Amino acid sequence: MFRRVPPLKRINKASSNISTLGSSIVNAINHSKSTTPLLSNYYSTIAANENNSSTLPVKSTDILIVGGGPAGLTLAAAIKLSPNLKHFKTTLVDAGNLSENLPKFHNLSSSAYMTNRVVSITPQNMDFLTGDLNLPLQFNRIQPFDGIYVSDGLNDTSRMAMDRESMGNMVELLNIQSSAYMKLLELNANNNTNPIEIADNCKVVDIVKPSTTNATANGVENTNPWPYVKLDNGETYKTRLLIGCDGFQSPVRKYAGIETRGWFYNEWGVVATMKLEYPPFNHIRGWQRFLPTGPIAHLPLPGDWATLVWSTTPELSKLLVSLPSNVFSKLVNAAFILEDGDMQYYYRKLSDAAVDKRIFDEIIEDIDYRIEVKSQQLINKNNSDMYYVDENYPPPIKDTLEKSRARFPMKMFHADTYVAPRVCLVGDAAHATHPLAGQGLNMGLGDSKSLVSVLEKASSRGLDIGSVDLCLNDYWKDRYGTNMMLLGVVDKLHKLYGTRNEVVVGLRQWGLNVVNNLGDVKEFMMNVVSGRK
Amino acid sequence: MFKRSFSLTRIQHIKRLQSSSSSVPKYSTSFLNSNVSKTTARRSTSFLNGHPAAIDTSNKVNPDEKSHFETLAPTWWDSKGSQRILHLMNLARMDFINEILRNYKVQLNANNSNGSKNDIDTDLYIPRFTTSVFPTEIKKNIENELNAAIYKELQKSELTVLDVGCGGGLLCESLARLPFIKKIDGIDMTPAVINIAKQHQSLDPVLAEKLTYAVRSIDEQKGQYDIVTMFEMLEHVDDPKEILISGWEHVKSNGGILFLSTINRDLISWFTTIFMGEYVLKVVPLGTHHLSKYINSREIIAWFKEMYPLSHEVLQVKGTMYIPGKGWVNHDCSNVGNYLMAIQKK
Repeated sequence: MFRRVPPLKRINKASSNISTLGSSIVNAINHSKSTTPLLSNYYSTIAANENNSSTLPVKSTDILIVGGGPAGLTLAAAIKLSPNLKHFKTTLVDAGNLSENLPKFHNLSSSAYMTNRVVSITPQNMDFLTGDLNLPLQFNRIQPFDGIYVSDGLNDTSRMAMDRESMGNMVELLNIQSSAYMKLLELNANNNTNPIEIADNCKVVDIVKPSTTNATANGVENTNPWPYVKLDNGETYKTRLLIGCDGFQSPVRKYAGIETRGWFYNEWGVVATMKLEYPPFNHIRGWQRFLPTGPIAHLPLPGDWATLVWSTTPELSKLLVSLPSNVFSKLVNAAFILEDGDMQYYYRKLSDAAVDKRIFDEIIEDIDYRIEVKSQQLINKNNSDMYYVDENYPPPIKDTLEKSRARFPMKMFHADTYVAPRVCLVGDAAHATHPLAGQGLNMGLGDSKSLVSVLEKASSRGLDIGSVDLCLNDYWKDRYGTNMMLLGVVDKLHKLYGTRNEVVVGLRQWGLNVVNNLGDVKEFMMNVVSGRK
Repeated sequence: MFKRSFSLTRIQHIKRLQSSSSSVPKYSTSFLNSNVSKTTARRSTSFLNGHPAAIDTSNKVNPDEKSHFETLAPTWWDSKGSQRILHLMNLARMDFINEILRNYKVQLNANNSNGSKNDIDTDLYIPRFTTSVFPTEIKKNIENELNAAIYKELQKSELTVLDVGCGGGLLCESLARLPFIKKIDGIDMTPAVINIAKQHQSLDPVLAEKLTYAVRSIDEQKGQYDIVTMFEMLEHVDDPKEILISGWEHVKSNGGILFLSTINRDLISWFTTIFMGEYVLKVVPLGTHHLSKYINSREIIAWFKEMYPLSHEVLQVKGTMYIPGKGWVNHDCSNVGNYLMAIQKK
């Protein structure tokens, strides 16, 4: 029996451990490099009774969840908490070192460091996490925000402020993961008859469907056989229901032969954790500016922390990640206030081969100067309102947390269906979206909630939960429409703001101003973003 | 006069009801009890009691029915095939059984038998119709707590079930997967469907222990059960009265429940189950149903009143209707069309 060395680096310093943890998770979830290639034929068959290459006997389970990310772990917690489902034998498989890393994160005594993988959670989903699941989230690491301020990168006057109290909450992914994991441990400690089995540090190597003939002694054809899941530690599980919470590359989805439709945007997102000059004193809100290269978003975290998601071209993203942190922080400030022309000048200068400390210092000085000039201009233009800049622009950044910068590709994908015989997909395995509207994990949590209620109904009716026709189809029917709508809207927004075409730009700027003044339309948009129906 | 009516005993009350000439129409048990069966008259005499004996009464199975089900056996478990409507009906049956068990078989006592207190204090139990005045959060919490307590109590019971006319085992398998069911015996008179049932049972390991099938008539079956079910079965036998009597004998007294479902004998039933079902939409295999064999829900209720006046209680009767694309939908007109019934033995 051999165990794979987990892909996370072990570093002594606690701070960099957390941030590398965060960025490693980013890489693991979104990069393709970490998955081993699967067998090219999806339906490689083995006879049910044949001895596997491993000498270990096949373990049997009812529900096998592949993937211990936020979607998988919250789904597992929901299943173990449900009176109708807790009698099912449940197993969760993840390639990462959950048993070591998640409790460590959970027991952090201070919020001195924030990880770079942060998502916005709608109030409905927060109720799900805190109410239905009663997860021990670390609330000192969660920041509710009261609105979103959207502006156009090509025009200062085109903007929209969507204000609503507690419109969303900024939560670190690790916070959700670790609290769900601790909840599972707590449930295991209380319920000794059917604890959930968490197999971490195990990668899924292969999933096979046994051949349908000779399935039973009676010679009757098994039209819906149990899939066999092989792990890299030599163990094999056969399961009644296989749930894929295994991210964009989803081996489970590939096993089921489900196609996805979508595209990669020619864009990469740079994430970073930032320290502000001062904590915001008027509104705690999210800021998003649609630059021609892609949206830049500044989202609040507790205290004087904030998180950044800057979607831009692949070349620029590489550049941004490689810059020294003081230059990077200045650039972020500049991106929110200065003109597109200024930004282009900086990109050009920094892309030159011969950059050195002198050039960096020059640029920092230049940015400071221009921001000063621009701020004064804005104040003068607006009735000498001293607080104009503070009201309409995000609080300036002092510095970026070391090693918190990472980048990942932006894409939009949707699986054709979420269910197949004995298989269902949840979260990123089923859909991927641009983060500009903060909907990704919200869709995933909505999926978990819906799947649990569908399984509960099927279980109360004594059905085989792996049957597509009478059980799993209801889940797909419930979620597909909503997710498709959200994916479509986010994609169109992205396309709308991704163009430099003058006509479109003019229209959208005018449109944004109009919507800013139309209460009902804004109300509707806020409802969509904050998850209210 | 006033004083006297209050001092009537229970038996006298019932006799009064039966013999009074009140304006409430009395549905006669004579339909069930008579010797001659008239096919279309709604209140013809002695339907149940007077079925002409089947060709071979010792077997108590009509050979036409038997051969009909034999041809259906291979596709029984194809949920998109000819028996799809039965698969959908199974969902409605399970919901009905769950509802009845939760409402009538679960006692939420403040004190358990060993003196320890339950989690729920029943003094705080609020009937469903008033929870709607609460904000949704609180209402949700109350319902969740109540559901959890009911489910916990239900888990403690270990019920035994006899499914008469189990067919391919749709209901048996569904019941066998419920944790609070301890044992299920499924019997049917058609060997082909029992074979299919056994074969399908072998595909799911969780069904191995609790479930047994046999080709056996209900008279030959021995034992008493917490639950006896006769779904979609009474309209296929030649002498339903005997089946009912025998089935009732197999129900444990002091709380056992008999579940049955069949179809009312009226024009609407003919229209929906035979005309639309078998000829037009073809969702029911041709020749499955015969109008003359349908039984009205009122006849069964009246018959029980006559046969077992003190030892039965009709817990619920629900009409149900198939809507293509949606499935089986329950409604309150239990005198028309298909219906489900639950009767408890005291």
